Amino acid sequence: MLAIEKLSVSYGSVRALSDVDLEVRGDGLLHGIIGPNGAGKSTLLDAICGRRRPTSGRVRYCGEDITQRSISWRRRQGMARSFQRTSVFQNLTVLDQLKLVAQHLGDDQLDDVIEVMDLGGYLEQKAGRIAYGVQRRVDVALALIGRPRLLLMDEPGAGLSATETLRLFGHVRDLVRERGIAAVVVEHDVDAVFACCGMVTVLDLGRHLATGTPEAIRADHRVIAAYLGTAA
Amino acid sequence: MIALLIANSLALASLLIMLSSGLALIYGLRDVINFGHGAIYMLGAYLGYTIATVGGFWLALLLVPIMLALLGIAFEYLALRPLQRRSHIEVALVTLGLGIIVGQIIIYLYGGEARSVDAPKILSGSVTILHLSYPVYRLFLIVMGLGSCALLALWLRATPSGLYVRAVSQDPSVARMMGINADRLSLLVTSLSTAFAGIAGVLAGPYLSVDPGMDVVMIVNCLIIVVIGGTGSIGGAIVAALLFGFVQVAGSVFLPNLAALVPYILLMVVLLIAPGGIGRGRVLS
Amino acid sequence: MSNGTMTDDLHAPVTTTLTGPLPRRSLAIVAGLIGLGAGAVVPTYLASDFVLRLGSEGLLLGLLALSVAFLMNQAGLVALGAASVYGGAGYLFAIGMSDWGLTPTAALGVAFLILLGYVAMLGALIVRTNPLAFMMLTLAAGEMISHAVLLEGLRDYTGGADGLVVRINGTVLGIDAIHFADPAKFWSLAWTVAVLVGLALWGVGRSRLGAVLRAIRENEERMRFSGFNTFLPRLTGYVLVNLVAAIAGFLHVLNAGFVSPESLGLSVSTNTLVAALIGGISGSLGPIFGGLLFSFAQDEFGARGLTQLLTGVAIVVFIVVFPQGVVGGLSGLSRRLGWRREGS
Repeated sequence: MLAIEKLSVSYGSVRALSDVDLEVRGDGLLHGIIGPNGAGKSTLLDAICGRRRPTSGRVRYCGEDITQRSISWRRRQGMARSFQRTSVFQNLTVLDQLKLVAQHLGDDQLDDVIEVMDLGGYLEQKAGRIAYGVQRRVDVALALIGRPRLLLMDEPGAGLSATETLRLFGHVRDLVRERGIAAVVVEHDVDAVFACCGMVTVLDLGRHLATGTPEAIRADHRVIAAYLGTAA
Repeated sequence: MIALLIANSLALASLLIMLSSGLALIYGLRDVINFGHGAIYMLGAYLGYTIATVGGFWLALLLVPIMLALLGIAFEYLALRPLQRRSHIEVALVTLGLGIIVGQIIIYLYGGEARSVDAPKILSGSVTILHLSYPVYRLFLIVMGLGSCALLALWLRATPSGLYVRAVSQDPSVARMMGINADRLSLLVTSLSTAFAGIAGVLAGPYLSVDPGMDVVMIVNCLIIVVIGGTGSIGGAIVAALLFGFVQVAGSVFLPNLAALVPYILLMVVLLIAPGGIGRGRVLS
Repeated sequence: MSNGTMTDDLHAPVTTTLTGPLPRRSLAIVAGLIGLGAGAVVPTYLASDFVLRLGSEGLLLGLLALSVAFLMNQAGLVALGAASVYGGAGYLFAIGMSDWGLTPTAALGVAFLILLGYVAMLGALIVRTNPLAFMMLTLAAGEMISHAVLLEGLRDYTGGADGLVVRINGTVLGIDAIHFADPAKFWSLAWTVAVLVGLALWGVGRSRLGAVLRAIRENEERMRFSGFNTFLPRLTGYVLVNLVAAIAGFLHVLNAGFVSPESLGLSVSTNTLVAALIGGISGSLGPIFGGLLFSFAQDEFGARGLTQLLTGVAIVVFIVVFPQGVVGGLSGLSRRLGWRREGS
C-alpha cells in the first residue's frame, strides 16, 4: 500500500529524517510510529502526505511514485490525514463541513462516518463551540470521508485523557479492520499504541530503529536502550 | 560606468534597507504589516525639512529619529497593543487608515508643492575616486545604509534582545514557550523601526525630493521589497532592497522608457519563480 | 440534511423564508421587484440633475465596493487595487475607439477581454499568497498600472497626466451614446446594473463556490487535505469581482466621457474600501448603500479638501469601533472574515 524508500527531510541545515525505509500493508491493522521527542515522527507523516517535500528519497503509494504529487491529489486518491493540532472549520456547523467534503469526494455514506465517530448529537453546532475531545472526532471524521484507503493520524490522543485516547484508538482500530484499509498512527502514548497497533515502527533521531509486532518491539534491546529504557 | 551604477544603486538601497528592515522586523514579531510606514517616512522628511531650515541638517538628523521613536512608542501603546486580539488584516487596515491620516495632515500643513533640502556643506559637492567624480552626499548615504545594516546584524546576532527577536520571528509558538516577553520586544522594535524611518526621511531630503506623494511611492517600494525578501525575513529584506536598488537604477539607465515599471517586473518574476520570496522567513501560505 | 443542499451560516434563515407559505413568498418577491423597479424610475422624477449625478457616482462606487466586499466576505481577502481595473476599463475603451478604430461596442468587448486576461494572470500570481501578502500585492499592482499610464512612451495613447476625452459615436450595446450623459437615464441604467450585479453576487455567495470560498478562508490547509483545489476557487472569485469593477469602470467612462489618471489612483481604492466598510461587507445591499452615502458625504465635506483625511479616519473608526458597518449589523467583521488569530 505504502512504501517509503530512503526518505530524507532537512529543515535548513537540520536533518530531521535520514534514509528512512518503511512499508505499510493494507491488511486492516494499525501501524503505530513511536519515538522520543524530535525523532522525526511528525516530519515523516508530513512527508508521506505531501505537506513537506522530501530532500531525497521516494514515497510510493499503491505502487506509484507520488513524491511530487499535491496534497489534494493524494487525498482524492484515498490518502487522508488527521492533525495533532485539531484542524476543523471552526465557524461551520459539524454537519456543514462534513457535507461539504463528502459532496466533493462523492461519498454518499456520510451517516456511517457520523455514526462511527459518534457525532450525531453535535451536527447542528459550530465546530468552534464544541468540546475539544469532540472537535478531535470531527477532525478524524473529516479524514474518514470518501472511504480513504490509507489513514494518517498525527497524535490522535493529543489533548485527550488516557480513557478518551483509548476510546478513539478503539474506534479507529475497528474501522480499519472492518474496511480492510491501512492506517499509520503517530503517537506519544506508547501504551495506546501497544494496545491497538498490529505493527510498530520506532524512530530515533531521524533514523529508522526497528519495525515489528508490539511483542517484538517490546523485546528489542535496541529499542529498550534508545527509548523505553529511558522511560522506565 | 559599472562602478557608478553600483554606487547609485547602493545609495538608493541604503534608504530602502532602513525602511524595509523596520517593516520586516515588526512583521516578524507581531505578524503586522504597517501600511503607514510610508507616512512615517514622509513625516520624517517634512520634520527634517523644517528642523533643517531652522537649525541645520545635523540637528534634524539627530532630533527626527528621537521624535519618531516617541511616535513609535505611542503607535505601539495606542494602536498595536489594543488591537492585539484583532486579526492581522484588521490591524493592517488600521495602519493604512492611520497612514492616510498622517499623510493628509502633512499635506494640509505644508501644502502640495515639493520642497527641497540642501545637503550640509561638508557633504555637498563631489569627490574624485579612481578618476571617477561622485557626489559626497551619496557616499554618505551608502555609509549610513551599510552602517545601519552592520548595526542591525550586530544587534540580531550578538545581543540577547536580538536573539529573542530572531527566535520569535522564526517561530512565535516556540518563543512563547521560552517565556519571551513579546510586548517588551515589540515596543523596542516598533520604536526602532519608526526611528529608522525618520532617519531615512531626513536622509531622503537632499537626495530625493520632499513631496506629497513620497509616502505612497515609498510604502509600495517597501512592500515589494518585503514580499520579494520573503515576508518577515530580515536578511531577505536586505538582499531584496539591494536587488531592488540595483534594478531600479539599472532600469533608469538602460530602459529609461520603462524605468517606472522595472520594480514591478522584478516583483512578478520573483512571484512566478519563488512565491514565498527569496529569504527564509516564515512561509507565506 | 434531507434536502441535500449545502448549508452555510447565512443559509438557515433564508431557507425558512423560501420554504414558508407560497403566497407570502411570491408576495415578497413581487414587492421586491416593484421596489427595485421603482428605484430605477422614481428618483428621476423627484431629484434634481445634480443629485442624480451624485447618486449615480455613488452607485458606481457602490458597485466597486460590492466587488471588494464580496472578496472580503467570501474569501477573507482585501483588495487594494480596485481602481486599476475600474480606471483601466475606461482607458482601454477609449484607446480601442480612438487608436484601434473600433466601434464602441467592439471596443467595449476588446477592453473586457484584455482586462479578463490581465486579472487572470495577476490573480494566478497573487491568490496563492497569504491574505496579508495579497493585500500588499494588490496595492503594488494598482500602483503599477498608475505608473504605466503615465509612461512617456504611452503618452500618445493615454494622454499622460491630462487623461483622455472619450468621444463616443453611435451606439454602445444598442444604446445611443447620448443617453449615457443624461443624468436621469444614466441613473436608471446604473441602478439596474447595481441591482443585477448585487443579485448575481448574492447568488454566487449562496452557491457551492461561495461555500468553498468561505471554507478555504477559514482553513485553507484543511481544504487541501480534504481533496479540494484551493487555488482555482480563489482565482475564480478574484476574476469575478474584477469583472464587476470593470463594469463599474465602463459605466463611469460612458457617463463622464473622460478618463484621467485619478480614476486609477490609490484614493479611489481607499474610497471603495471605506464605502464597503460603511455599508458592511456581509451582503449586497450594504456596499451599494455605502457607496451612495460616501458620494453624498464627499459632496458635503470634499469641497474643503477633507475627503482623503476623512477616508483615513473612517477606515480606522469602522475597523476599530464598528467592525460590522452601518447596514450589515449581522455579525462581527472578524467572525465573518475568519480572520481570527491562531491560538487565541
